[in-house]
Amino acid sequence: MRDEEQIQLERSWLEEFEAAARRPLETRMRYAFIHTYKPVLDDAAYRAFDTLEDYRRWCEENLPDWLGYGRSFDSA
Amino acid sequence: MAAPSTPLRAGFEYRQAQEIRDAFARHGVRYLFIGKAGAILLGFPDTTQDADVFAERSPDNGRALVIALRELGFALTDDQAGDIERGKDFIQLKNGPFDLDLVFAPDGIERFEDAWRRHIDVEGFPVCHLDDIIASKAAANRVKDHDVLPRLRSFREYWMQNRSRRL
Repeated sequence: MRDEEQIQLERSWLEEFEAAARRPLETRMRYAFIHTYKPVLDDAAYRAFDTLEDYRRWCEENLPDWLGYGRSFDSA
Repeated sequence: MAAPSTPLRAGFEYRQAQEIRDAFARHGVRYLFIGKAGAILLGFPDTTQDADVFAERSPDNGRALVIALRELGFALTDDQAGDIERGKDFIQLKNGPFDLDLVFAPDGIERFEDAWRRHIDVEGFPVCHLDDIIASKAAANRVKDHDVLPRLRSFREYWMQNRSRRL
């Protein structure tokens, strides 16, 4: 991303952070928690994994890629 | 796309966060909000689907957690209660009034006690420090974590600068 684009992006984030800081917690939560159906993931009432590694593997093997639960191969 | 076998529900609400806080307090559950839900409690403007709770792994805490969850309306079988009491690393609950992820060993955080020492209290909600939330997401390194990290790190700078004014 070009420097100017990055600056613009960070400026818009800052505006969002400041706007959020003016809202009470209850309002922030109302805007933040949005439930949409996630295929496979939402199809069972209970799941438990002995290790996080097991959970990550299960996500990679069972969930559609577009949900974003797969491992990222870019550096974080 | 297959129809969901669990009913669709509204997003997690402030009132439900209060119910968790109050039920967990009544039963002495040691826990912290973590993940994006934790960041949102700290002021991060973003969206998420459900709440993530980092619970201390100990037999007493597991038992207290089961009692509190049942009181909140989670329909836990005895086997499921056993999973929680033993502190399996990751448990997804969609069998209650809202979705809740229990994590006993989050990526990027060595011990509950360390995270507890650094935690932030937000209106009585115990929340992981942003550094722990970021460390956890960076270590998990899923696509969705990778996407949110630049903005979350930018928020950390803003939050650190402005924290003293808000406390």
